[in-house]
Amino acid sequence: MELAAKLKHYRLNQAEYEKIKEVLGREPRGVEWALFSALWSEHCSYKSSKIHLKKFFNKTERVLESFGENAGVIDLGEGERVAFKMESHNHPSYIEPYQGAATGVGGILRDIFTMGARPLALANFLCFGESRAPRMSQLVDGVVRGIAGYGNCVGVPTVTGQTEFHSSYNGNILVNAFALGLFRPHMKIVNSRARGPGNWVVYVGAKTGRDGVHGASMASESFDANSEAKKPTVQIGDPFYEKLLIESCLEVMEKDLVVAIQDMGAAGLTSSSFEMASKGGVGLTLHLDKVPVRDQTISPEEILLSESQERMLLICEPAKFPALKAVFDHWNLDASVVGEVKASKTVELFWRGEMLCALDPDVLVERAPLYQRRYSPWEARHRESKPDKLLPVVEDANEALLQVLRDLRGTSRDWVYQQYDQRVGGATARDAADSVAVMRLPDSGRALGLVLGCRPYVMRWDSRQGGMDAVAYPALELAAKGFEPLALTDCLNFGNPEKPELMTEFVAAVEGMSQTCAAMRIPVISGNVSFYNETLDQNVTSTPTTGLVGLRPNLQAIPASHFTEKLDGIFLLRLPQVQLSGQLAELKPGAPMVGQGEIHAHAVAGLVRLLIQLARQPYVHSTRLVGKFGLAYALARMCLPLGIGARTAAGDWFAEVREPARSLFCEHLYEVLLAVDRNQETALRELIKSLAVDGLKIFKLGETGGDRIVAGRALDIPVSEAKRAYQTGWEAHFEGLE
Amino acid sequence: MSGSKRIGILRFLGTNCDRDVWQAIEAVGLAPEWLWYQDRFEVSRFAALILPGGFSYGDYLRCGALAAKAPVMASVREAASRGVPVLGICNGFQILCDSGLLPGALVRNEGLRFIDQWVELNLVNSCPAFAPQAVAKTPSRLPIAHGEGRFYVEAEGLKELQDQGQIWWTYADNPNGSMANIAGVMNREKNVAGLMPHPERAIFDWMGGDDGRSFFTSLV
Repeated sequence: MELAAKLKHYRLNQAEYEKIKEVLGREPRGVEWALFSALWSEHCSYKSSKIHLKKFFNKTERVLESFGENAGVIDLGEGERVAFKMESHNHPSYIEPYQGAATGVGGILRDIFTMGARPLALANFLCFGESRAPRMSQLVDGVVRGIAGYGNCVGVPTVTGQTEFHSSYNGNILVNAFALGLFRPHMKIVNSRARGPGNWVVYVGAKTGRDGVHGASMASESFDANSEAKKPTVQIGDPFYEKLLIESCLEVMEKDLVVAIQDMGAAGLTSSSFEMASKGGVGLTLHLDKVPVRDQTISPEEILLSESQERMLLICEPAKFPALKAVFDHWNLDASVVGEVKASKTVELFWRGEMLCALDPDVLVERAPLYQRRYSPWEARHRESKPDKLLPVVEDANEALLQVLRDLRGTSRDWVYQQYDQRVGGATARDAADSVAVMRLPDSGRALGLVLGCRPYVMRWDSRQGGMDAVAYPALELAAKGFEPLALTDCLNFGNPEKPELMTEFVAAVEGMSQTCAAMRIPVISGNVSFYNETLDQNVTSTPTTGLVGLRPNLQAIPASHFTEKLDGIFLLRLPQVQLSGQLAELKPGAPMVGQGEIHAHAVAGLVRLLIQLARQPYVHSTRLVGKFGLAYALARMCLPLGIGARTAAGDWFAEVREPARSLFCEHLYEVLLAVDRNQETALRELIKSLAVDGLKIFKLGETGGDRIVAGRALDIPVSEAKRAYQTGWEAHFEGLE
Repeated sequence: MSGSKRIGILRFLGTNCDRDVWQAIEAVGLAPEWLWYQDRFEVSRFAALILPGGFSYGDYLRCGALAAKAPVMASVREAASRGVPVLGICNGFQILCDSGLLPGALVRNEGLRFIDQWVELNLVNSCPAFAPQAVAKTPSRLPIAHGEGRFYVEAEGLKELQDQGQIWWTYADNPNGSMANIAGVMNREKNVAGLMPHPERAIFDWMGGDDGRSFFTSLV
């Protein structure tokens, strides 16, 4: 193969080729091409993002592991710790939705139990295109079935998530999977640093096949008209096998039979072996012909690059191997010795006795190119100062409310979540029906809150503010249920980083997130970057998704997200920072959403502290953030579950706003609705006063009760009518999907 | 928990509600013990046996089919014939049907999708061992989570179930197309019972309800 063809085949550019020659001191040869192709891919090396990711706030006294290992770990106190991470599986899911989404779940779970934690919960952030876009109903169906098929079988509950729709995802959907695992007090954190010369390298799990070869480098380029031809690079998952791996791996770790362990994820055996050696500062010999394979004709290069699922690589002392093998036998799995740890820092690959290559692992892992991609300082956009333009056009508030409850962006997600087992494991206290999922910690009885964040429409308004909101909004959601936000994982989905305008959005969003994390002292402990989310030059909305974890001392009296009592007082807290014409304005073709103001992270941190205290008062019965589609939609969502209406006719909010019908649909960052025992208004106001949050306004809107949603003279519809709109919206958009 | 009755919990490859059942058994003050699919066991040691839910063998071939042939099932049969109470939940119910210990079969849900939701159940005939008349709450609210929970039996089989009082619980609002709204059945002797909903997921208030507790308290 001539050089140009070779570079194309291995998805390397000329400059990278020069750098390979520089680090090797010679031409690359044989399988080395494949190794560099995989480990220097964007997916494995983070070469376009690393410089910026280093800016993340990532240390608090709770952080035990941050970015060094497969997942981040935080200390919850009382001996309990959790590991969590989020990862994208966008490209494979677009090509083959069922397997792409399923293996996304499998992969993120392996990142968790590899650390020694037992998986406790799963969540997903999904972004789809318009329902009428080509293949879209098939993609929605396949992705949801794939997540269900894998998560349900492996026995980890899927407890929360977010599902977005926008035309920018028509040709490139986003599938981000989040997983969290628990270390109970007696469980140890295990790492992936190979060590101890003479120790054995052991291969465990499924046999290696040709699936997923070149997957990492495939995920590092844009889609074109030939994406269908990439199907063979998508992996096939087997959740039953994964279940056996979870149980057996946790058992060998608990019995202290392993020195180090790593799953074979992107770039398979190549990345796991070279990374384990590099992290441990040791070398390895690896006999590729001893790797269990499905098909005897598979080549050593394919063995190195295969992304076959449900495989682990571990390091074991030879004396402990019989005990280790007995555990895997018990679970009906094979464990094969494929190599040995060496003191000299060289990874040597063999094929039938012949050495294929000998490389310093750092050359592949540590010396990958780092790019300072071109970008510009962020300039605020879509600003508007005229008060009239900051309100969406609404002629009839009743009609507008029914419209957004039926719209794909506002309608019920039951179709999605009913396909997921949300309760297996016996720890789920609040499921996806709530704005925050809650898991019970078995040893301390405390509550762990999980929520995903990022509102793509806020990102479309302004990348910097959107990045801040991707941290602030979910942090407020946790706080509104009495959870202290502890840490965050992210999955940064962006377009082509080689385009300066895209890189500018990336840097702005990362800076916004980072600043907000620092102000709230929420460390970023793990994450993933997915670039090249574009098809035929159309970029997806820049979507930096987040997963936040919070802690609450108990499970008692966590406020509901809906009204639970009649005659509760309804209050609105507003921290006026940003006003947006909102997602309703965005639904009108040709009119971009506009806004004014900016988020002040320290003020939001003050609101977080206030909400944590409020939500721990037994007289605060219900809390809900006002988000997409503004106050009318949030009120309606609080009325629907139990059919308790809202009478908000006489409240002081109406005295202040102009054009109530339109104001009911604009969006303020940030607003929170509370339903409070009517006899406790004084206590509520005193508590709010004592925790003084600068600029915070409190409005009394009215009270719960009746069977209608009423807001002044602007809005008045029966709860039952709103409920019907909310529950039938989904099927109206996806008629083919029952 | 010395002195409390021992309850055997079966584990097959792919069982995944085993810890949940363990938690429920401990919560009511009984002593759970694992029983591994490859091992036979001494039947007289156990006050009751529970086959938890999950995806034994990944539901390959047919849900419950491979587990029904596991060595441990010989002991389960022996226990059943000696009158030891045996409860199969979800996949455990499927296994009991496939092994012939319970009548009928569980097939793909109408609509062909997995369904996770809370359902309301009516007690039709009570089971002396699990949620007997004295403690059973009817209607009971329990979660379901299954893709293959639609009970099916041939016409004369259904008549026999009705005549012999073997229909245990029915759905108030049939979620999956089950024949005669059946959510759970018993064998003729009423010591072997199977149920698609998950009582072990409704043990504490914080789970969203505790109607499932009565299925285990009667064993104490």
